[in-house]
Amino acid sequence: MLFRRGKASLGKSFQDGETIVKQHDPPGSMYIILEGRVQIWVDDGDKEPFLVAVLGKDNVFGSVALYDGSSRISTARAIGRVRVLPVDKRGFLQWLGEDPTFALRIMLKMAERIRTLIAQLVSLRREVRELRQKVGRTRP
Amino acid sequence: MELGNHSRVGIVGGGPAGSMTAFFLMDLAKRIDLNIECDIFEPRNFSLTGPPGCNMCGGVVSESLVQKLAISGIPIPSDLLVDTIDAYTLHSDQGHVRIGAVSEGARIACIFRGAGPRGAEAQKPIPWRSLDGYLLDLAQQGGVNLIAERVKTIDWHDQRPRITLGNGQSFTYDLLVGAVGLNGSGISMFENLQFGYKPPRYTKAYIAELYFGSREVEQRLGQSMHIFLLNIPRLKFLALTPKGPYATLVVLGENIDQPMLEQIFQAPEMVRCLPPGWKVPVQTCLCQPRIHIGPPRQPYGDRIALVGDCSSSRLYKDGIGAAFKLAKACAYTAVVHGISKSDFQRFFAPTCHELDWDNRLGRIMFAMDSLQRPFPKLQATLLDCVRREQDDPDSPKRLSAALWDTFTGSASYRTILANAVHPSVIRDYLRTFARMACKMTTV
Repeated sequence: MLFRRGKASLGKSFQDGETIVKQHDPPGSMYIILEGRVQIWVDDGDKEPFLVAVLGKDNVFGSVALYDGSSRISTARAIGRVRVLPVDKRGFLQWLGEDPTFALRIMLKMAERIRTLIAQLVSLRREVRELRQKVGRTRP
Repeated sequence: MELGNHSRVGIVGGGPAGSMTAFFLMDLAKRIDLNIECDIFEPRNFSLTGPPGCNMCGGVVSESLVQKLAISGIPIPSDLLVDTIDAYTLHSDQGHVRIGAVSEGARIACIFRGAGPRGAEAQKPIPWRSLDGYLLDLAQQGGVNLIAERVKTIDWHDQRPRITLGNGQSFTYDLLVGAVGLNGSGISMFENLQFGYKPPRYTKAYIAELYFGSREVEQRLGQSMHIFLLNIPRLKFLALTPKGPYATLVVLGENIDQPMLEQIFQAPEMVRCLPPGWKVPVQTCLCQPRIHIGPPRQPYGDRIALVGDCSSSRLYKDGIGAAFKLAKACAYTAVVHGISKSDFQRFFAPTCHELDWDNRLGRIMFAMDSLQRPFPKLQATLLDCVRREQDDPDSPKRLSAALWDTFTGSASYRTILANAVHPSVIRDYLRTFARMACKMTTV
């Protein structure tokens, strides 16, 4: 007796290394990670793009585009098999009109990310200061 | 009247409405550093198959609700999904038409409220999880205390609600939430508290899990829900939904009896969707749950609120979506504003009224549908309009969207009605009707 007819699932699936959203692309949906992990990369015009975050299950990405309408600020790439639930921008704004508490959890996730980014910034500043001190010591 | 540190909340009923209210209460309280205690009374074990673990429901959830739940901190894991649906097939004696999902993200998830139909336990382990069990677990992970006992009485003690169990143990709460549904005796306990509450009007539905086997489900139903527009008196809605090796039969109408069911199973449109020679087994897992058709009166008072089917809900559909809305509104009111009658009136009642008003529009739509059922030409016109919309890639597909949303519960009746009576839909319908009438006259 076969109970399941196949793998039932909602949302979109991505394979390892596949790009989910690309930096500079026009804004679109926001994504909720249902399974797997996602890398967030930023390309600042230097040789290599740099990794800003690795997000896991229940995290949200692409939410900045929901609010400011600008192009994508980063690239999201799947680590292993990833399943995400896209949330349409227009639909989300309609839900916000019906129930403002929908914004609460997105704001919380954004606050968590701001906290992490500030910690990264502080650590970078410290590294720069230490490098400056080293360079100052070795300069004749 | 507010919840403070160490305030106690009691929730009677651990179905989706009760569990989600508990989840949102604890979640919001944590956000504002409020330390509350929450007990949920639910005697059922949702890991059991058949009636003991089931909350009696058709078991379909729209993808938009899955998205709303995920954004609100309740992600639905894959092992809860028994099947996904990406189309609806409308059947009438004038033919049939398939309506594909109107947009990406508009699919339907099929779930079981308990661990599945009676007999599913033969497969070990059971390859799906109960939705109600998952939501109750999530509430417990958030710090809610489950009391797996049946509530015997509810009364007032020192102006606070008090719950007494069969073993004589009693609990007094600062806030009591009723999520008792329509099917148990719990609803009368809340009515007897005399705070102005009158339960909603209800009718009985008929739901059966028909075992076809996975191959037959695939061949007969595919990934589509099948809706039957049959001209049977008192029948309002008839659907067959693929769910793994089962097909869930949902019949809505007035006084569903054996002769009506016999008419349904003998209708040629239905016979085409059944495996050849298939007969209803004697041991079929079936139920006749009460479903909400009219608004309740004042589902709140000082220190008390009702959510889910025993409060305001959606007419004929999307009970879980309505439970989600009310659970959130109830928790938000209690944690952020207060727990007095006036707090609930100001911040919780508008959500109830919104659902109640929308149902009035729903009733108009179902009345319009009942009027056109006896006229084959009108049904043929409807099917033809939908067929042409589906064949035209540039069509805005308003009629298809209206039908899709009616069956899925993805949109309010107001949105559905706006699509259904859009001037372009009416123009297209009248043109199609005139063309079909001319063709008949020429023949």
